[in-house]
Amino acid sequence: MLTFIVRRTLIMIPQLVLLSLIIFMLAKAMPGDAVTGAAMSSPDMTEAQIEKIREKHGLNDPWFVQYGHWMKRALKGDLGMSYVHKQPVKKLLAGRIENTVLLAFFTLLVTYAIAIPLGLIAGRWNDTWVDKLIVGYNYVSFATPFFVFALLMLFVFSFVLGWFPTGGSVDIRMEEGSWSYVVDKAKHLVLPVLSGALLLTYGTIQYLRNDIIDTKVKDFVRTARAKGVPEGKVYSRHILRNSLLPIAAFLGYEITGLISGSIFIEMIFSYPGLGQLFIQSINGRDFTVVTALVMLSGTAVVVGTMLSDIILSIVDPRIRID
Amino acid sequence: MMWKTIYIVGIILLLAACKQSGDPGEVQVANFPLSVSNEAPALENGELTYGLVADEPFEGTLNRVFYSGQPDAEIMQFFDESLLATDEDGVISNDGAASYHLSEDNKTITLKIKDGVTWHDGEPVKASDLLYTYELLGHPDYTGSRYTFVVSSIVGMSDYHEGKTDKIAGIKVFDDRTISITFEQATPSILSGIWTAPTPRHYVGDVTTDEMTMDELVSSEKIRTAPIGFGPFKVSKIVPGESVLLERNEHYWRGRPALQRIVVKVVSTASILKALEKGEVDIASIPVDQYDNARKVDEIEILADIDTSYSYIGFKLGKWDAKKKENVLNPNALLANKTIRQAMWHAMDNESIGKMLYKGLRFPATTLIVPVFKTYHDAGNEGRPYDPEKARALLDRAGYTDRDGDGFREDPEGKPFVLTFASMASGESADLIAQYYIQNWADVGLNVQLLDGRLHEFHSFYERVQKDDPAIDLFQAAWGTGSDPDPEGLWGRSAVFNYTRYTSDKNDELLKKGTSEKAFDTDYRVAVYNEWQRLMVDEVPAAPTVYRYALIGVNRRVVNYSIDGNSPNRYVWRWGVSQ
Repeated sequence: MLTFIVRRTLIMIPQLVLLSLIIFMLAKAMPGDAVTGAAMSSPDMTEAQIEKIREKHGLNDPWFVQYGHWMKRALKGDLGMSYVHKQPVKKLLAGRIENTVLLAFFTLLVTYAIAIPLGLIAGRWNDTWVDKLIVGYNYVSFATPFFVFALLMLFVFSFVLGWFPTGGSVDIRMEEGSWSYVVDKAKHLVLPVLSGALLLTYGTIQYLRNDIIDTKVKDFVRTARAKGVPEGKVYSRHILRNSLLPIAAFLGYEITGLISGSIFIEMIFSYPGLGQLFIQSINGRDFTVVTALVMLSGTAVVVGTMLSDIILSIVDPRIRID
Repeated sequence: MMWKTIYIVGIILLLAACKQSGDPGEVQVANFPLSVSNEAPALENGELTYGLVADEPFEGTLNRVFYSGQPDAEIMQFFDESLLATDEDGVISNDGAASYHLSEDNKTITLKIKDGVTWHDGEPVKASDLLYTYELLGHPDYTGSRYTFVVSSIVGMSDYHEGKTDKIAGIKVFDDRTISITFEQATPSILSGIWTAPTPRHYVGDVTTDEMTMDELVSSEKIRTAPIGFGPFKVSKIVPGESVLLERNEHYWRGRPALQRIVVKVVSTASILKALEKGEVDIASIPVDQYDNARKVDEIEILADIDTSYSYIGFKLGKWDAKKKENVLNPNALLANKTIRQAMWHAMDNESIGKMLYKGLRFPATTLIVPVFKTYHDAGNEGRPYDPEKARALLDRAGYTDRDGDGFREDPEGKPFVLTFASMASGESADLIAQYYIQNWADVGLNVQLLDGRLHEFHSFYERVQKDDPAIDLFQAAWGTGSDPDPEGLWGRSAVFNYTRYTSDKNDELLKKGTSEKAFDTDYRVAVYNEWQRLMVDEVPAAPTVYRYALIGVNRRVVNYSIDGNSPNRYVWRWGVSQ
């Protein structure tokens, strides 16, 4: 087990280096930089001042020189300064990551809370009307474009019905740490989480349903039934344990998807997290932040897949590799 | 200081604009008020919500020396001030927290801070706090955008900026409340561009000693989440990027603010009208394209004034010489002949664009000094009104005629004359506008094509315009003019932002005169700038297209709110709510 994890971790290093190289080349291939078009907002700025800014942020060097500098600093844990936000990138990310993680965590929780029971029901009573209803929902959610659905949710539940706030993460008037603060934060989370979760369930439901249908005719299940194990126990002890394997395996990937999916959620619900920061930084050509963010989600992908493998090898001793 | 918007009574100018376009009977826009109509008494402990209309979180660099985003500036107006107030022309006055007087030779300005002006932590605002602002602006490590002409022309500033000395020779602190600043040359730009926003040295920390570095200061929580000022409200809490809670400053030097608290929060452009309608937000700007819907919202009143920014068509006439640091004309530019440029301006139907796409909230521009500068904008100058006949006549006269009968004119040598037009992809109407101008020009026989056949994203557009891409003959852009009417920064010979790269001796001369010592005499300065505006209408390095109205939606419960540069209600401390 340990060797497995160590090996996976070691493979991550070249993967991340390669990723950073690609990001850097692509980022620098974007036209313009952070001071392009400064005339729009700061018509008093002089040429010397602009040059000074480019010089300080190393924007005049060729990309490989910039990459070298960046790499050297990144190894020391320094991700540079954001030009737009004028603070260290690390601090900037730290300030925003909380919201995104909160959002991702609850979305995942709600996704499983909906998907696992539905998948179980659909699998156990397959081809009944309940199953057809669930599969129908699955098709619809799979086909619905996320941003359309999220906008619709926002329109109906915030604008028309007024049940939930239209944006932000918390009402500033709430006393931090108080109960109403927690409630208000939750209220701000409901719509983004639901919009994400309701559309994310299809994979889990489908896998679970198929697996249960497959499993329930397998020999060991038949044996259990023959021993006289009650039907409920057959499902909870024998079938579920097996069928949850692929779901557990996908956990890592789900986390990865949530982090990149946060871009849409956060834009639509004006929820200030990493996704919004990412768009803002690309529009402002805030290279240091863009690079750091892509690296972060890249790392999430690599770590997520590793997590999936580890979980899988814990729940399923058959595939444990040493 | 340049962020300061100057508000003016727009109606007269609007009517003038109508008249010029040959349509005297029609008033395009309803008479916008500048102040709210509710005259009920303000609640004793009212609370108001101010909307920052943006699709991104605010950056939260809440300090005048370092900030860059407009939302940050909007937040700062509630808790921070400049020592000197400005009048409706953007010129400093003695109504602020300090008074000033100019020396005989107009080179030295002395500020005296009034009694009882204190920072939110109770410390008095000191002369050395203003000195600190200058020490930051000129600091060798400073990389913000505000080391501008008005700062760099202080005596001894360049030595300080280069790190040769740690004292700015031209700034003298006499006592805790008196400070004088001496400039190398006397120029009226001082009166509209001088920096008088102090920085609380005792609170944020000192970079001139070894206490902290510039980077540490900029990213300090004392600027970002717990800033102080001496304005009417104190910052009590900030949710970064999202909202700010402000409480009344009982010790505000002007008096006790009417409101108990103000909440400032970011609202996306898509939801701003709903937020106003539901009363979630009391005051917020309204995007022009939502004007039609905004009119139907009964809960709000719409105020409007003319904006400092304008759109223009720039003609590429040369390039930037990076060695000489100045603009150089290219005599072989396709548009080097000014008659064509004049014709192109006459061919553009800006009025229709303003009416059709912006409900009259944008209207034909006439000169390169915006009407916001009431004194300096030459209202008598009609620019070049829409007149396709005149455009054709001008082109004929210049020898550009259609010789092969394809509907497009050839150049005097008979070769095809095709112009390439760069325009930005910004907003829904960008494409329509670009196509409309191209049609306008085609109507007078000019073959104008979009660069690469499409619009360009902000950065690629400016990247190519800035670098004088030879493929571009003309481009459409827009910008704000700042608080100083001096056009040097945008149209001067050594201005890197002068994207047309136009230069002429007459232009240099007039721009110089406009900021000379003699220009302290307003009449003289007006005469110089009128002449400059005429020169620009004659030479047409750029054709201004439309001036703009900026709209503000205000809930009907708000009292004592005004955007009139003369009204005492323009100051935040007067604002209140009646229910």
